[in-house]
Amino acid sequence: MKFGWQLFAFLTAFYTIVDIVYWQLGGEIVGITAMGLSAGLSLIIAFYFWFTQKRIGDNLPEDRLDGEIADGAGELGFFSPYSWWPLAVGFTSTLTALGLIIGWWLFLIGVGTLVVSIMGFVLEYERPEYQNEH
Amino acid sequence: MTTYATRPVGGLETVNRAGSLAPTSKGTLIRKLLTTTDHKLIGQMYLVTSFAWFLFAGILALFIRAELTRPGLQFMSVEQYNQVFTMHGTIMLLMFATPLFVGFANVIMPLQIGAADVAFPRMNMLSYWLYFFGSIMATAGFLAPGGAASFGWTAYAPLSSSQYSPGIGSDLWIVGLAVGGLGTILGGVNFITTIFTMRAPGMTMFRMSIFTWNVLLTSILILLAFPPLAAALLALESDRLFGSNIFDPANGGALLWQHIFWFFGHPEVYILALPFFGIASEILPVFSRKPIFGYKGLIAATIAIAALSVAVWAHHMFATGQVLLGFFSFMTFLIGVPTGVKFFNWIGTMWRGSITLETPMLWTIGFLITFLLGGLTGIILASPPLDFAVSASYFVVAHFHYVLFGTVVFTMFAGFYFWWPKFTGRMLNERLGKIHFWTLFIGFHLTFLIQHWLGIKGFPRRYADYLATDGFTLMNMVSTVGAALLALSMIPFAINIWISRKAPLVGVDDPWGYGASLEWATSSPPPRHNFHSMPQIRSERPAFDLHYPHIQTEKMGH
Repeated sequence: MKFGWQLFAFLTAFYTIVDIVYWQLGGEIVGITAMGLSAGLSLIIAFYFWFTQKRIGDNLPEDRLDGEIADGAGELGFFSPYSWWPLAVGFTSTLTALGLIIGWWLFLIGVGTLVVSIMGFVLEYERPEYQNEH
Repeated sequence: MTTYATRPVGGLETVNRAGSLAPTSKGTLIRKLLTTTDHKLIGQMYLVTSFAWFLFAGILALFIRAELTRPGLQFMSVEQYNQVFTMHGTIMLLMFATPLFVGFANVIMPLQIGAADVAFPRMNMLSYWLYFFGSIMATAGFLAPGGAASFGWTAYAPLSSSQYSPGIGSDLWIVGLAVGGLGTILGGVNFITTIFTMRAPGMTMFRMSIFTWNVLLTSILILLAFPPLAAALLALESDRLFGSNIFDPANGGALLWQHIFWFFGHPEVYILALPFFGIASEILPVFSRKPIFGYKGLIAATIAIAALSVAVWAHHMFATGQVLLGFFSFMTFLIGVPTGVKFFNWIGTMWRGSITLETPMLWTIGFLITFLLGGLTGIILASPPLDFAVSASYFVVAHFHYVLFGTVVFTMFAGFYFWWPKFTGRMLNERLGKIHFWTLFIGFHLTFLIQHWLGIKGFPRRYADYLATDGFTLMNMVSTVGAALLALSMIPFAINIWISRKAPLVGVDDPWGYGASLEWATSSPPPRHNFHSMPQIRSERPAFDLHYPHIQTEKMGH
């Protein structure tokens, strides 16, 4: 985690410096904006890593040089065994995008089915039979 | 050590529990392919799909070469020629090379950090479906009235406007790429999260394999590069559909498009290069019987490339005369330095090693040679006065094929031969692999080396025709013969896959004998959640330490 915020903080600083140099040398506005936004994106991620490290500490087993495999024992997390919803979301996203070109009728069908499938995707493991498992 | 929830339904669970990838019936297989959340299977689906696109775009390339063999229009109209080279470029970059990275990263990276799966298994599958449907959509233009997109893979404004490129094929291209690009962004998020949160205990950041490092930095570049592309594509589509004037040349839209496109486009080149540099960095130590030379130097070079790559985009725009030549030329020369450091490290790894030339090593050396030539012409093109002279000529075509084909295709095959036992549990045939390598190597250099001279003599790219009096005929014929040989080299590979499906199972964790990273410490192929047991991790070569406990790499200062 420590290296995470350091890496993104470095990128933020680097993009900011290059952006200022580019601006001072007379660079055009698109590049100044794009590099500024790149610095902003890196800053958001750097902040999130820093914040998370403050919250959970930086003595995680995977960051310790003497970490033993047994230190990571216990539940690793929840892994979905299989799911139909990614296919549904992927297909309805494509329908929506295709609707932009073909016509509003298809776009509306796409948006409707996309909302339903995103709900299915997000709520798949929120149903009562899974509540005691994670 | 892994616990995971089971669904209250039968069938697939037994298959998963047994850790076998072999389904029991065709119906089960189809259902498994449609619904799997296993990163290894998703990765293999990525590899197969992107390889299919590689073959399709390769056939388009053969059309291009066939058309250019002789002066005059052979069998294509000028418009069809435009469609063919546009789709060749688009497919090779965005539907072959980029997803190929996602495929290798998916199969190998979680194994190398000792994770049970990726951080978001279902989102991983969603990325695949977005790629699958998006790429079909972008290519479907070939079946549409008016044909596929024909404005070049760069889609420069105002050529890509509805006025100059009418037809649904162009719209399908734009929206299809936006859908596929969304999938790539989700894949990048997934990889970053996995690498930062799912490493095994003891697997510190500076014990990760070089391939995993390169996956991490490639994913960061995806986050920086693909959102501008998606924004530009949707804005372009809004121009075409709703008559907005974002890329209207009257408002400076022509240059606006080029800036945004290349702000995506140049990091994209490194998105294609870095993971494949990572594959080379995995293979060289194994077949040189040495640890990687300058581990931290390689990582620093990769970070430097990732950082610098967002500040070099306008070297694609030197010829517009409206960019800061000095700034971008300097930055481009600067990014050559870490790339040179990588070469130094690769050669340092091989230096005084006990090199054996199994197929993965042969392909990797082919990559070193080819990419070196591409890098050197890159230095030439980074100099604006030289770039003005050869811009938009076949010199540039030769340059980027040396860079991209040299990197992506050579190390792709290196990776296939290297990790095939990890994918399938069986080795590919070495003899056929060597025939495959030499036909492809000679075919490639025959096709593209001569294009440097063709470009210097003035043959422009993207032209369907030339005159007999131009003096390009002989060189074009040599190039086409090379392309035919290149295409034929796929036959030994196809035979190899076919006969290797019944090759004996390797039955060991590390069939090459000197594997370094953690994927060589689990069975071939690995079980559903990757590891039944994991070795202690004390260096960047945990599998090597496990198999050769008397050689402690950590004490050697790594």
